[in-house]
Amino acid sequence: MIKRLIIISLTFNLSFIDKISARALEVDVHGMTCAFCVDSLQREFSKIKSVSKVDVSLKLKKIRLETDEQEPSFELIKQTVLNSGFTPINIRVLTDEPTQD
Amino acid sequence: MNLRRIKFFPNLTICCLSLIMMTEPMAMGLRSFVALPVEKNGGVIRLFYQRTTDTDMFATSAAYGLSAEQTLLLGLSYLSSGENNRRGDTSVLYRHIFWKDDSLAGTNRLGFLGGVIIPEDKDQKVTPQAGLVFTHFKDRYEIDFDTLYQASTKNRTANARYDLSWQYRLSPAVRPDWGLATELNSVLELNGNWSEGNNTTHQITGGLQWVSAEWIIEGGLVKDLNNQYELRSVLSTRFHF
Repeated sequence: MIKRLIIISLTFNLSFIDKISARALEVDVHGMTCAFCVDSLQREFSKIKSVSKVDVSLKLKKIRLETDEQEPSFELIKQTVLNSGFTPINIRVLTDEPTQD
Repeated sequence: MNLRRIKFFPNLTICCLSLIMMTEPMAMGLRSFVALPVEKNGGVIRLFYQRTTDTDMFATSAAYGLSAEQTLLLGLSYLSSGENNRRGDTSVLYRHIFWKDDSLAGTNRLGFLGGVIIPEDKDQKVTPQAGLVFTHFKDRYEIDFDTLYQASTKNRTANARYDLSWQYRLSPAVRPDWGLATELNSVLELNGNWSEGNNTTHQITGGLQWVSAEWIIEGGLVKDLNNQYELRSVLSTRFHF
């Protein structure tokens, strides 16, 4: 019984830590033109361990990222966009609240 | 007739390889491979097939992104005409995008091309080549232009080529807010080849591109405006990795 309580408690705490540390960012990108551009950005951002989700909008010219609370830095995000061949314009923090799937 | 074909091979090889290597990144014309943007450490492979009445040509082109501005382009070809089969020359090109103007609606990019043609024939020498590539992309259309000059060397006359392509996204008219739908582009392309002491030849190509995030399948028909050859068909596929 005690073991069960410990496991439940740990699971709850780990889940809480995971949710509280999430961050959602939106990056405005100029120069995106085609499907391969979307693929390039998705590949590059997916290589970053602290990025858990990447969505790219070719229509809105935006990238949405779900990341750890502190990482990656804005500088790394900008450099990743540049390495993909595009121009980062602006980075906005959408929320520091826990994200829900 | 066979002798004529054999003599024709080197020029055809250079012409085709040049044209294929001209266009680059993501979208681009059917016959050029130099306008394509490639991300750092990213790569694109293109498999190309061209059919004329008496010649089949297979070509493989590869692009590797050294950085967002620097790309290495490699082109290999193989020609088959009746009983005569041979490997074509190898083209190695370095592309440096030295000017870029990105906007919300698209991009303008200007790049330098430099490299060599490595001849398959051992009697010929390595030929230097240099040129420019320009891309304009806005909303649903893209225009790519590139030109390349190949210097004269032993047993080979100077050669130059150009490629001007216009692509228009037919579908979807409006892209989804997030994610990506496969896209259909129409392509109209004009290209030409000049070699020292010969007439300049021009070709016009019309075709379609079916584009996804990781691959492109494209095909078209090529008409020689000098009427030297019959209608050709081209088919190619590109993979992004």
